[in-house]
Amino acid sequence: MLPLSLLNAAQNKPMLVELKNGETFNGHLVNCDNFMNITLREVYQTNADGDRFWKLKECYIRGSTIKYLRVPDTLLDAVKEEQNRAREAGRSARGAHVSGTGNRGRGMPQRAGRGAPRGGSIRGGRGRGRGM
Amino acid sequence: MDKPKREAILDLSKYSNERIRVKFTGGREVTGILKGYDQLLNLVLDEVEEQLQTESEPQTRTLGLVVLRGPTITLLSPVDGSEEIANPFLNQA
Repeated sequence: MLPLSLLNAAQNKPMLVELKNGETFNGHLVNCDNFMNITLREVYQTNADGDRFWKLKECYIRGSTIKYLRVPDTLLDAVKEEQNRAREAGRSARGAHVSGTGNRGRGMPQRAGRGAPRGGSIRGGRGRGRGM
Repeated sequence: MDKPKREAILDLSKYSNERIRVKFTGGREVTGILKGYDQLLNLVLDEVEEQLQTESEPQTRTLGLVVLRGPTITLLSPVDGSEEIANPFLNQA
C-alpha cells in the first residue's frame, strides 16, 4: 500500500488536507501528481487558529507544503482490491508472452553492445599508431 | 496505475485574465489578474495587491505588474467564487 497509490485512488473522493502551517482544506480531490501537488474542488478552508473559514470553488496546493491528508476509510479496501486485480493481470500477462520477447529484448542487444567497445579499442590502438 | 503524470494537473489557461489568489511559503499572500504562466508555475500577474499579515485590521499594498516565482507558491485559487463564511462545521458531529 503506497501513499501515492492511495492518493491516486482518492480522486473525486472527499478529503481533508492539513498544511505545515496548520491551515486545513476540506474538499473533493480533482487531481494529483507524484509530487503530491493536488487540486481540490468545493473547498472549505480553515485558518491555522481554526476561527476563520472560507469557501473556495477550487484550489491548487503544492505537495511540499502538506503535513497530512485524511481520506475515507473505505478507500483502503478499494485499493487493496485494485492491487490484487493488477497483480493477477500482471501474472497472466508475464506467463503468456512477456518472457519470450523480454529475453530477446534485453539479452542480445546488450551483449552486442558490450562487444562493440572491444572492436573499438583495437581500432583505437591502430589509430594511435598511425598518429605517431 | 502508478504511471507518472507528465502533464500539469492544473490547467492555468482557464484562469487567464481572471483574478486569482496566491499564497507563498512564508505566509505572504497576493491577488492579481493572471496574464501568463509556464510549466514551473512561474506566473505573471497584473494589478497585484498584497494582503499584508497584520494583527489588527486587514491591510493591502499595491504591487502592479509582477512575476511570481513558481517554486515558492504554495496555494492558488480563483478569487471569483471564493468568500469568507461562518463556521460550516458547526452542525456536524
